[in-house]
Amino acid sequence: MVNAMKPDAKEIAYQGAIVLLLSLLCLSVLYPFLYMLAVSLNDGADAAKGGIYLWPRSFTLLNYEIVLGNEVIRHAYGITILRTALGTIGGLTVTFLAAYGLSCKGLPFRRAILVYVLITMLFSGGLVPFYIQLHNLGLINTFWVYIVPGLFSAWNMFVMMKFIAGLPEALIESAELDGAGPLRVMLTIVAPLSKPMLAALGLFTAVGHWNDWFAGAFFVTDQSLIPVQTFLQQLLTAQDLSAVLGSNNNQEALARGAQSQNITLMSIKMAVVMVSAIPILCVYPFLQKYFVQGMLVGSVKG
Amino acid sequence: MHAKLYKYRWQYAMIAPAVVLLLLFHYIPMAGIVVAFRDFRIGSSIWNSPWVGLDNFVFLREPQFWNVVRNTLYISVLKFLFGFPAPIILALLVNEVTRSTFKRFVQSVSYLPHFFSWIVVAYILQALLALDGGLVNGLIGKMGGEPVFFLGSTEWFRPVVVASGLWKETGWNAILYLAAIASIDPQLYEAAKVEGAGKLAQIRHITLPGLVPTISIVLILSIPSLITVGMDQIYPLTNPANIEVADVLDTYVLRSGLQQGYFGTATAVGLLSSVISLLLVLATNRMSRKLNGEGLW
Repeated sequence: MVNAMKPDAKEIAYQGAIVLLLSLLCLSVLYPFLYMLAVSLNDGADAAKGGIYLWPRSFTLLNYEIVLGNEVIRHAYGITILRTALGTIGGLTVTFLAAYGLSCKGLPFRRAILVYVLITMLFSGGLVPFYIQLHNLGLINTFWVYIVPGLFSAWNMFVMMKFIAGLPEALIESAELDGAGPLRVMLTIVAPLSKPMLAALGLFTAVGHWNDWFAGAFFVTDQSLIPVQTFLQQLLTAQDLSAVLGSNNNQEALARGAQSQNITLMSIKMAVVMVSAIPILCVYPFLQKYFVQGMLVGSVKG
Repeated sequence: MHAKLYKYRWQYAMIAPAVVLLLLFHYIPMAGIVVAFRDFRIGSSIWNSPWVGLDNFVFLREPQFWNVVRNTLYISVLKFLFGFPAPIILALLVNEVTRSTFKRFVQSVSYLPHFFSWIVVAYILQALLALDGGLVNGLIGKMGGEPVFFLGSTEWFRPVVVASGLWKETGWNAILYLAAIASIDPQLYEAAKVEGAGKLAQIRHITLPGLVPTISIVLILSIPSLITVGMDQIYPLTNPANIEVADVLDTYVLRSGLQQGYFGTATAVGLLSSVISLLLVLATNRMSRKLNGEGLW
C-alpha cells in the first residue's frame, strides 16, 4: 500500500538545496560556452572593454566570416572529418574481426594470442621508440599516421569479446549446422546483434579522432595535413593573428576588419574554438544514450 | 595439426591484421628501447648505432629530473585526492533528486565536458582567466583589484589543473556510481523508512555500502595511472612562466626527445616510467586478487 505522504517543510528544503547545488553545477558547465559564444559574436575591440557576460553587446558575424574564410582552417576541417570517418570505420573493422576470430573457443593458440594482445596493454616502449618506428615506416608527415597506428585497439577488442561471449550461442550454432562459414556467421548474425556495442565503441573512437591534436602536432610538420585540434593548439599560444589572417579567401571581411581595426586575438580565438565545439554540441543530445551505454559496456569487467 | 590450423584459416585471417599492427606499433617499439643504451641519431639505424652503456641515464643525477618527478607525483596525488571522491558525491546528489526530468538534465549536462578536447578546455581557461581580456580578471579590475596571472604563475598552475580536471571528468566518472546505485534493491530503502531512518542515515547505511565494490574497483584501477598525469591536459597549459611546476615526466620525454632530439635520454626516461607503471599494474593486480578474489585479467 502506497500512502502519498505529505512532503513536509524539511523535505522541501532538502530537495531545494540539492536542486540549487546541481543547478549551479550545470551552470558552471554550460556558462563558459555561452560566454565564448557571446564574445565571438561581439565586435572584438568592444569585447576587450569587458562587461560581456551573456549576450553580445555589439553584434557582428565578422569574427566567423574571417575564421571560416581561412583556407588552413577549412582544410583542417576536411582532414579532421576524413580521419574521423576512416579511422572509425577502419578501427571498428580491424578490431571487430580480431575480436570475433578470437571468440572462437576451439582456436589453436588462442590463449597465446590473447596474451600477445594483453602484454601491449601493460607495457609500452614509450614515445621515442614509437616515433622512430613511425619514421622508419615512412608514416611521419603523411595523412596515414592518423589512421594506421590506431586501427587496432586492444581495450576495445576485449570489450567486444565480452559482448560477443554474451550473445546466445544457440543462434550461432544453428547457423553453423546450416553450413554457414565463420565469415557468414559474423556478417549475418554476430555483427547485427552487436550493433549497440559497435555504435558505442564507434562513437568513442570517433570522439578520440575528432579531439586528437597530438599526432598532428608532433608527427606531422606539413601545415596542409594538420587537423582542426592541432590548428587550435598552435593558435592557443599565438601572439598575433597572422595564422588566421593569412591565406584567407574572404578578402572583403578582412578589409572590413582591417578598416575598423576591431578584430582582436581573443575574439578570433573564441570564434575558432566555437567552430570546433559547435558540431559536438549539436550531435551530443542525439548520441548521448550511446555514450552512457558504452561507458557501462566498457567498464564492467569480464 | 595442419588440418586443424587449416580448419580455422578464416579465424586466423581475421586476427592477422591485429597481430601485424601490434607487431609494428607495439612490439618493434618495445625492442626499440635499446635506444636507451645507444647513441642514436635520426637517420642512422637503431641496431647499428654505438653502445654507450648507461650514459643516457645521467639524467638521474640532474636536479631538474627530480623536480620533474616531484611535479608528476604532486599533480597526480592532488588530482586523485579531489578527483576520486567528487564523482561519488555527484552521484549521491543526483540520486537524491526526485524529479526525473531534472535528474536526466543534470546527467546530460555533466557528461558533456568529457567530449571536448583538453585544447578546448585550455581555450575556456583563457577566456575566463587570461590576464588580458579574461572574464575573471575583468571582474577583479572592476572591483578595483590587481589582476591575477592565473595561467602564468607557479602558485596557480596546480589549482587550475585540478579544477579543470574536475570540470571535465567528474560527470563522466559518476556514470559508474549512478549505475551501481540504480542496482541497489529499493526494498532496503523502504525498510529503512519504516524504521524511521532519515535521508542521511539511508545514504550512510544503504547507498554507500552498496557502492563499496564499485569504489574499490575504481580505486584499484586508478593506481597504475599515478605515474602518468595526462600530457594531453598538462601540455597545452604549460608555458615558460609555469614550467618549473608544470613539467611532468611525459612532457619531459616529449620535449627532450621529439623537440630537442635527445633520443637516448628521452627513451631512458620513458623506459623508467614504463617499468614503474608496469610494476604498479602488477602490484595492483595482486592486491585485487587478494581483496576481490580475482585479478584484473
